[in-house]
Amino acid sequence: MFEMVELITSSTLHIRNNVRADGRTLNQLRPLTCSRNLLNRAHGSARWSQGDTTVLAAVFGPKAGTKKGENPEKASIEVIWKPKTGQIGRREKEYEMILRQTLQSICLLTVHPNTTTSIIVQVIGDDGALLSCAINASCVALVDAGIPLKHLAVSICCGLTVGGHVILDPTVLEEQKLKAVLHLVFPNPPLSIHHKTQSLLKDEPIEHGIITSVMRGVMSVPDYEHCLDRGRIACTKISEFVRRNLQSSAREGLAKAT
Amino acid sequence: MRELHVSLNQTQKVRLQAAFQHLSDIGSQASSGLLVSVSDTIPVNNEDGILKGHGTSEHDGQVVATLCGVVERVNKLVYVRALRARYKPEVGDIIVGRVIEIAPKRWKLEINFSQDAVLMLQSMNLPDGIQRRRTVVDELNMRTIFEENDVICAEVRGFQHDGSLHLQARSQKYGKLERGQLLRVPAYLVKRRKQHFHDLEQYGVDLILGCNGFIWVGEHVVPADNEMVEDQESTLKDKEQSYTPLEIRQNICRIANSVRLISALGFAISVDAIIDTAEASKSSNIDIKDMLGAEFYVQTAEREVQKRISLLKKKRG
Repeated sequence: MFEMVELITSSTLHIRNNVRADGRTLNQLRPLTCSRNLLNRAHGSARWSQGDTTVLAAVFGPKAGTKKGENPEKASIEVIWKPKTGQIGRREKEYEMILRQTLQSICLLTVHPNTTTSIIVQVIGDDGALLSCAINASCVALVDAGIPLKHLAVSICCGLTVGGHVILDPTVLEEQKLKAVLHLVFPNPPLSIHHKTQSLLKDEPIEHGIITSVMRGVMSVPDYEHCLDRGRIACTKISEFVRRNLQSSAREGLAKAT
Repeated sequence: MRELHVSLNQTQKVRLQAAFQHLSDIGSQASSGLLVSVSDTIPVNNEDGILKGHGTSEHDGQVVATLCGVVERVNKLVYVRALRARYKPEVGDIIVGRVIEIAPKRWKLEINFSQDAVLMLQSMNLPDGIQRRRTVVDELNMRTIFEENDVICAEVRGFQHDGSLHLQARSQKYGKLERGQLLRVPAYLVKRRKQHFHDLEQYGVDLILGCNGFIWVGEHVVPADNEMVEDQESTLKDKEQSYTPLEIRQNICRIANSVRLISALGFAISVDAIIDTAEASKSSNIDIKDMLGAEFYVQTAEREVQKRISLLKKKRG
């Protein structure tokens, strides 16, 4: 009898009073850090970490020539995913494909026709929400390399627990017990420079549009929409963070070099 | 270039932070331009008549930035200049490069670009100086002019159809560079100026600031006139026997270290800045090897702050 009771309790996430196992609330994200220009041979590089999940992205390009099957009137993007341990298998190929299609939609492909831009993603630590972390890191690395983009892509990972709660940015332990895990990528809204203060009003509609949605598990449609809303709000916070980061480093560089 | 690994103690870190803070304050006062990030809208007065340049695109009738950088306006052209951009070659740039490969009738040089640059045999003066058609014998003797791993100074003549550069080295000031150091700095720190060849007479040193971020510091070489073939043999023997004097070698190292220091701090590289740093190190009796140490690093940053403050005061009146 005792063993059976133990099995049941360990397979559900301990959420009491809307506080998760590591002390966060349902909607709270782990601490984000982002650093750019780490590698001196790559044209652009960025390191993004959410808690213990850390990903290093490097961008090389644009290089001359496209692959054989590609359209030579557009630039092509190539993604190489390197896992922390183990051989490259099907899961890495899946991540590469998702990343490639996401980044293809944010890059301006007609600026450098007949070129290839390579993005290499190296997983340094994996503690949940790995794909989101990688997409954020690659986007910042593309900005660092000076590749023209339509808008920034900001990614968030949400999950639906067995009890019906929606949690953001799950850890590996939480991910294993979730009913469904959803990775969302939103474009960050174009910001007018003069109207900076006004656009942060809560009543204003946030930019619509979604770039990528990848789900593993089973979820009902109202739950999915719930996740979308939560994810969008969280992504505005992340995109503010990215923007502040870019502005401050740009200001510093401008002050020194002129 | 690898970042300088300077280990600063606590007071030095504080001083360095204060210096950089001063610089950004001065920078914001000088109001050089509008900083934009990706997908920020750029304020334009009249929509018609504005040419949208590099780094911009149109979105919903508004001009939107596609790069992170500074907005520059030239008459009706609006474009975004990226701050830490890769080297973008233009016709007429002075370039310092290293020979990687010898191909039929051309040399392939490594410059700081996505592809190797090409220096054709026709774009190079022959050793005997006569203007004639290059024959098969010349092609076989290419190695006597430049070999692999030689450092060469040349000028960009144009672009080839696949985007790689076409160089020319027809003047006397271009050609093989010897007796000196090649330094690699980030290309955006070297701005395009009227003069890239500098002869520092008080040090006896030649300084070439390549636009691609390769900087040559070497012993001063008198640009020789076209010599006859017989004279060349004797001068070769002279070259082997004469060594660069110790003082000139020390000056070369001092200037090279000041270039490394300025690029590590992230300041724009100009002849005045290099000479100032070298003079300052000489006057404070700092050893050449201590120039890359923590103390001089912080002192150089502070000195730059002082210079900018005085420049701002002069501008104001």
